[in-house]
Amino acid sequence: MIELRNVTKYYKTSRGKKYILNDVSQIIPTHTNVGILGRNGAGKSTLLRMLGGIDFPNSGTIHSDKTFSWPMGLAGGFQGSMTGRQNVKFVCRIYGKSEYEIQQAIESVKEFSELGDYFDMPIKIYSSGMKSRLSFGLSLFFDFDYLIIDETLSVGDKNFQVKSKNALKKKIENCNVLLVSHSMPTLKEICDSGIVVNDGNMTYYEDINEAIAVYDAINKQK
Amino acid sequence: MLKRNSLQIFSSVILALFLREIQTRFGSKRLGYFWALFDAMFMVLIFAGLKSAISEHSMPGIEFPVFLATGFLAFFMWKNIVKKSMGAFSANTALFNYKQVKPIDTIITRFLIEILVSAMATLVFLAIALYIDLDVSIKDFNMVMLGVFWLALFGFAIGLFTAVVGTFYETFSKIVDVIITPMMFVSAIMYTVDSLPPVLREIILYNPLAHFLELIHGSYFSKLHTNYVDYEYIFYWTFIPLFLGLYFYTKAEKKIIASK
Repeated sequence: MIELRNVTKYYKTSRGKKYILNDVSQIIPTHTNVGILGRNGAGKSTLLRMLGGIDFPNSGTIHSDKTFSWPMGLAGGFQGSMTGRQNVKFVCRIYGKSEYEIQQAIESVKEFSELGDYFDMPIKIYSSGMKSRLSFGLSLFFDFDYLIIDETLSVGDKNFQVKSKNALKKKIENCNVLLVSHSMPTLKEICDSGIVVNDGNMTYYEDINEAIAVYDAINKQK
Repeated sequence: MLKRNSLQIFSSVILALFLREIQTRFGSKRLGYFWALFDAMFMVLIFAGLKSAISEHSMPGIEFPVFLATGFLAFFMWKNIVKKSMGAFSANTALFNYKQVKPIDTIITRFLIEILVSAMATLVFLAIALYIDLDVSIKDFNMVMLGVFWLALFGFAIGLFTAVVGTFYETFSKIVDVIITPMMFVSAIMYTVDSLPPVLREIILYNPLAHFLELIHGSYFSKLHTNYVDYEYIFYWTFIPLFLGLYFYTKAEKKIIASK
């Protein structure tokens, strides 16, 4: 369960505060895969970052006793001067993995991500798709209660998309996912429930189809 | 996933950052080992050369190259701690994507690495000095160590304070960055405070670094003394920035993490 209590999050702009969440209280139940919908700039990524513990509300609290992955997404998350291999090692180490487990992680990430020679090159020369593949492949190695995914499934060629979708489906037999995506078929396929972020509010819907319908209605209004 | 306590998380993060940093600094193509030695070595050679060209015996009973080496090794340790700490947040922002990594961890890691690097440089200097048969005997080993580690802590305090304040006021870290290197000339590294005219003596003793250098030199060489060292003064210079830095850090930690 994830509990948001009176959460307010805004960004200061030159024209005043832009609210992402304005005094939102909401409970997201356990054992459901949540799709997060919202227009560009509505604050989906910020919401994911707050759930992942690397961004913070201006007021209010977000509480959960579950473990969360790092937010996987197109934007960054890796140190550019380090190679793929070094980044894998680094992340394993901060999670306290043994040297043996690190070697296993390297093998499995290398194989899954299909980076080939790029695996030993600095991340700064990676395309955003390659970064996502590395990030996603690495996350599969850990046992989180929630995977936090920001649009990652739509990268790479068709083959890789199918492969990562299958890997994710297998993974979520044992854990849950918080997924931001603009692809409605993906959301319907992976998620059970949905959250719509709009105008400083977020609303939880038990049925992803309902969430998609609400989101479509918002899009038509504007 | 197994729950770990904060000390376990902290130590695995420090280890991960340490290994990553060592790899980037001393990687095969970076010549990190060379640069770790070069600064101090270069300065010692220059000033030892100058000194012997100007006057042979202005410091009787003291091996001047050893005097210079102790001063420069200490100063460069301090300078590198400050500079590396200042830049620690911006060099590691991408890693704050993992909630285990707190910004201050990056400063602590760099602090440990700089101490290690200085220790290695000191060992190389010692080996060279012994090889060319210089007198490197120490009057009071414990006081020298106290001086060195206190100086390191002073560097940590200034570095942390600058890193935190500099996150919000970039000008501040730029100013600190600009004044650090010239401090070399006003910190009693190539001369003793005693050897200065009284007017200059009073001015230079406003510089806390001069006190640290006097403490280290005065405890190292039997011919020198530590009478000019004002312990209370350097205590304030260490602990006020340290506590202010930590205080501002705790207030600003979330902003530093989210600011990327």
